[in-house]
Amino acid sequence: MSGRPYRLPESAAQGSRIDRSKTVSFSFDGKNLTGFAGDTVASAVLASGRKVFGRSFKYHRPRGVIGLGSEEMNALVAVGEAGRKEPNLRATQVELYNGLVATSQNRWPSLEFDVGIVNNYLSRLFPSGFYYKTFMWPRSFWESVYEPIIRNAAGLGEAAREHDPDTYEQMHVHVDVLVVGGGVAGIAAAEAAAASGKRVMLADENAVLGGVADISVGSIDGKPQGDWVKAKAAQFAKAGNVHVLTRTTVVGHYHHNYVLAAERVADHEPSLLDKGAPRHRLWKIRAGQVIVASGALERPIAFANNDRPGIMMASATRGIVDRYATAPGMNGVIFTNNDDAYLTALKLHEAGVGVARIIDVRANASSELAEAARKAGLQVQTGAAIAGIETSGGGKEITGVKVAPYSKSRGRVVNEEKVACDFVAVSGGFNPVVHLWCHNAGKLKFDETIQSFRPDRHNDPIMVAGAANGTFDLAGCLEEGYATGEAAAKAVGGKTGKLTKAAAPGGGAGSVEAIWFAPATGKYNEGNKHFIDFQNDVTAADLELAQREGYESVEHTKRYTTLGMATDQGKTSNINGLGVISDATGKKIPEIGTTTFRPPYTPYSFGSIAGTKKGELFLPVRRTSIYDWHIARGATWEPVGQWRRAYCYPTGGENKKDAINREILAVRNKVGLLDASTLGKIEIKGPDAGKFLDLVYTNVFSSLKVGKCRYGLMMNEMGFLMDDGVTVRLGEDHFLMHTTSGGADRIAQWLEEWLQTEWTTLKVFVTPVTEQWAQFAIAGPKARKVLQKLDGDIDFSEDAFEFMSYREGTLAGYPVRVFRISFSGELSYEIATPSNFGRGLWDTLMEAGASEGIEPYGTEALHVLRAEKGFIVIGDETDGTVTPYDVNMGWAVSKKKEDFIGKRSLSQSFLASEGRKQLVGLETKDPNDVLPDGAYAVAEVKPQPPMKMIGQVTSSYWSPTLERSIAMALIEGGLSKMGETVSFPLEGGKVVEAKIVSPVFLDPEGKRQDV
Amino acid sequence: MSDPVFNSALAHAADHDGAKDLSIAMREISDRGMIDLRGEASSSKFKQAAKSVLGLDLPVKPRTSVSKGNITVFWLSVDQWLINCPRGGHHKLLADLTKALDGMHSLAVDVSDMRAIIRLEGEHVREVLMKGSSIDFTLPEYKAGLVRRLVFAEIAALVHIVSDKPDTVDIYVFRSYADYTWKWLKATAKPGAVIGLFSKAD
Amino acid sequence: MLIVHCPVCGVEGDETDFHCGGQAHIRRPASHDPHNITDEEQRDYLFMRFNPKGLHFERWRCDRGCGKWFHAARDTASLEFKGYYGITELPPKELQAQATGQWAEFFKARAAETGATRPAKKAAKTSAKKASKK
Ligand SMILES: [Zn+2]
Repeated sequence: MSGRPYRLPESAAQGSRIDRSKTVSFSFDGKNLTGFAGDTVASAVLASGRKVFGRSFKYHRPRGVIGLGSEEMNALVAVGEAGRKEPNLRATQVELYNGLVATSQNRWPSLEFDVGIVNNYLSRLFPSGFYYKTFMWPRSFWESVYEPIIRNAAGLGEAAREHDPDTYEQMHVHVDVLVVGGGVAGIAAAEAAAASGKRVMLADENAVLGGVADISVGSIDGKPQGDWVKAKAAQFAKAGNVHVLTRTTVVGHYHHNYVLAAERVADHEPSLLDKGAPRHRLWKIRAGQVIVASGALERPIAFANNDRPGIMMASATRGIVDRYATAPGMNGVIFTNNDDAYLTALKLHEAGVGVARIIDVRANASSELAEAARKAGLQVQTGAAIAGIETSGGGKEITGVKVAPYSKSRGRVVNEEKVACDFVAVSGGFNPVVHLWCHNAGKLKFDETIQSFRPDRHNDPIMVAGAANGTFDLAGCLEEGYATGEAAAKAVGGKTGKLTKAAAPGGGAGSVEAIWFAPATGKYNEGNKHFIDFQNDVTAADLELAQREGYESVEHTKRYTTLGMATDQGKTSNINGLGVISDATGKKIPEIGTTTFRPPYTPYSFGSIAGTKKGELFLPVRRTSIYDWHIARGATWEPVGQWRRAYCYPTGGENKKDAINREILAVRNKVGLLDASTLGKIEIKGPDAGKFLDLVYTNVFSSLKVGKCRYGLMMNEMGFLMDDGVTVRLGEDHFLMHTTSGGADRIAQWLEEWLQTEWTTLKVFVTPVTEQWAQFAIAGPKARKVLQKLDGDIDFSEDAFEFMSYREGTLAGYPVRVFRISFSGELSYEIATPSNFGRGLWDTLMEAGASEGIEPYGTEALHVLRAEKGFIVIGDETDGTVTPYDVNMGWAVSKKKEDFIGKRSLSQSFLASEGRKQLVGLETKDPNDVLPDGAYAVAEVKPQPPMKMIGQVTSSYWSPTLERSIAMALIEGGLSKMGETVSFPLEGGKVVEAKIVSPVFLDPEGKRQDV
Repeated sequence: MSDPVFNSALAHAADHDGAKDLSIAMREISDRGMIDLRGEASSSKFKQAAKSVLGLDLPVKPRTSVSKGNITVFWLSVDQWLINCPRGGHHKLLADLTKALDGMHSLAVDVSDMRAIIRLEGEHVREVLMKGSSIDFTLPEYKAGLVRRLVFAEIAALVHIVSDKPDTVDIYVFRSYADYTWKWLKATAKPGAVIGLFSKAD
Repeated sequence: MLIVHCPVCGVEGDETDFHCGGQAHIRRPASHDPHNITDEEQRDYLFMRFNPKGLHFERWRCDRGCGKWFHAARDTASLEFKGYYGITELPPKELQAQATGQWAEFFKARAAETGATRPAKKAAKTSAKKASKK
């Protein structure tokens, strides 16, 4: 590579986007380069004389810039370093800033010398469906051999491995009219819609409005299109009902006109990040009407080796000349099937870049532009096509093209002629950008005039205008823009406003002749690749092979060949692919149909999808009022839903196991304090409250006395346990229900649902009050003594405050509700105080208990304490398929009540049958063996699986109280197997034997809690 | 005997009286008491009883609020209201309500500690709210007095537009989420992240 | 992301502000005659659901608004909401008329039931009793 500069000399006609007074330094693949403010990475690198930007996906062929904007599928680069590195950015879209670091992708060890190029010479091993064909067998090779190879050799860029230091955010907005695309049609649509006074949002992916107005034919109101664009942009900025989003790509259209748009806020100016700007912002827009004015994209022509660096789209060629004063080369050949490319020839000529020849596949070219080209002295050859490319440096430098006469029916190349050149500008016609139209099931129709698909029907409030609609002439774009803008405003109830419409001279978009394949010199597919999908390295031969192999449906062909997949989503490849299939099958394109365009239109960052959800905001975390105390005490956390509960409190170098054992023994021997604030609390009141509770619980609550507590079981309609807890009767028609921590919201909604939808005549109000109360369990033989030390109006003596009853009053000045209930089997009180007093009361209790040796205990100690007593935990002993009978709690299922939720299901044959798993206790033969949670019990131990499973461990702990392991398990017919031994084969071959026992390991008479 | 120790939901945040360097002004409000009231809006007896205690008519129009003196009542549902009054005064108010509603199908509960209130002020408040919820607070119906429950930054919240021009908005979240909400707002209301939605250039 | 409207409080919002509670108008046998429910009836009540392409009738809850349940008629193909009505109500006549397939049959049966020709209660089947818990 010579490194010769391609920047054109300063002139008024070229370089509209760059500011030559501001030099910008950046690096590409480690080489320090300079460009000008306003350059893109593509234009600046091209200006430096480099044409190769990367290697292709499958064959690792050198690739250069092909397009002008987001449609670029070759020149993908990674920008940024370390955590800020973002792969797969289109070099044509990346705006230059000082210090930008860009690296090419898909090359190893370097862009100039790439080991993967060997794939190019082995390409006969990589036909369509090569993944399916090559890597089929043996299965086990997938993980260990094939996948790593494929992952190393193929794929697009590599993601950053470091933490991304930037912030991202999302924004929601409702607008009356959303216009997608800020070209001439989009601007006209936005202006017309805004004239009604309605709220209009105009989104465009480029840094400035105008689309390709600046590089297209025609004037508006007698002035250059660019002047009109600038005037309108200024008008929008002043309007209070128009919001313009630039650098914002509308990436998806969904149901009910929900639209996602990705704004690149700080990519072009990283200094904004320091001021707190998010790097990207994802807009979630709800629009009354959407107007798609997304323009059209030029399509390539499939000729032999049409992927060589230096072959660009004709419109992109004049774009880099006009906007960035960058020449694609010294001497070019134009290859076209339409009139538009003649403008490129003229612009190149005007800029002093050589135009060796215009090669036009059409038999005649007599448009105004063609005549102008001839008049300028440019050589026009009609009825001809490029049959081959000559290159040097391993395909990296073009030295010339082979031109041969062309007519549609002739497949062979005769009379080829060599034309020397160093770049080629290609135009195969234009495809309306219909992606957004199609995201939510919009239909397309094939238009013979433009040889492409354009929008047809849509069920949503969405319209299309301009080139996106296949309208390529300027007057037509303006007209459609205004018309859709007015129609959209009217559809959302806007009144007709004042609007002065601009005018453009009429004038044809010119003719286009379909060419899907240009025959090549030499043997077919031997060194000649006609690329259709550059990004996925899909060639015409691949598509033809797929047809021969019977992939008739275009959707099957897509998946078999990977045509139009990945980030490209068929932007440039779709129609050409269909054209090749059409030629191969003899079917017309509309008969073949098109593949589905899926969101996103272009990729957008994971950061913007995550938005603020990172770091400590990754998940909403719920804190009890004791949270800070837990931290200060060195608690480790157990997440329970979004709550953080203290798991245990290791002190003085203890490990967790020691801490848990210490906490358990403190409760058994002295007194412990547990933060149980997360328990669900629901106030239930009304004349039918008792009747209602009888319907939602398996047991009876209408008979509960005021001031008393009762443990209740809740099933769903299928008869499976879903929650449990203690409910208290506060008054004749007033109850307070406790639910599990995880069930708090769910159960409150569950109760509401039944009241609103089934038992609609019951007079009951349900108000969740979980967070009003901080709630603590003070448990252990000294619990009463601690409470009696504190001032208050509650008599804690055994006779005055009996087990399973409730008191309200004050304790040490705090308003409290006290429930004498026990989940540990010890003498225990649960004390609730309003949350803002929670920490104060906690500190008071800890202080009062100090002399009795009070210790805080966490959720793990709580679990062991209850397991020693054989109490179940919903979600441990139950898994959504467990009935009260399965856990041996038939005593809590009322026989008298006619109806309650789940009752009838309990007698369904499959729930009432013998042999269901039943809850039992387990004592391992070796008391030091603690079974793993979930371990399987088998009918018979065999040297290797399969073994018949007869049950599983639901809870398993070391019990410091009993100084042995304890476990609970659901075992088939377990209740009738008391005393029998079951075997648990563990991972690694160890088999643990355990005796089936009662799950109540400690104090079966319940003496400890009733003192 | 000493007075009970009171800790508001955001007491642990050093700047809960006023966060600095943001595009909005932001502080915790902890001096309000709250009562959740359930009852049958169709019963004039119920509404009359409530009025006799509160001194105002319960709002029956969805998403509205009614204020008189230092009491503001939010409409929460067709049979549910949130009464907002000075903290401390809520004990008597609740006792009076319970007494007045005796024998009527109703439920009045003290929920003063159930939610945290964060007051947001300034011209960018609505924009910040729109970064966390699917609701467009710039639409004309979002005027002073409006109350709306919503999903905000993934959690359940309630927004009360206390006044507009200039905007003062109270956001109510369940107490356990106060810290998360506070941090979320601080991360989002960065001056450099202001959008200026539909603002006019000079 | 659908836009849903609550007929109870009039709020309109994103689907995420609401909760879809599945098929509407499922009759709970135990609320009517808890002693005479066959295993098959209970199975159908728990598990059998319509899955129409086209007009469907669903239960929704105004999750972040008034908290109330309501009914909605929604086209499962176009995802368009065709109407909303109360949680204790059957759809308005014009929506019922648009129903096809299983839903058309269902409304026809309900109309017949609420008329004078309400079918007599089915004879108790033995299977339910046999299966009941000891
Ligand atoms: Zn509602």
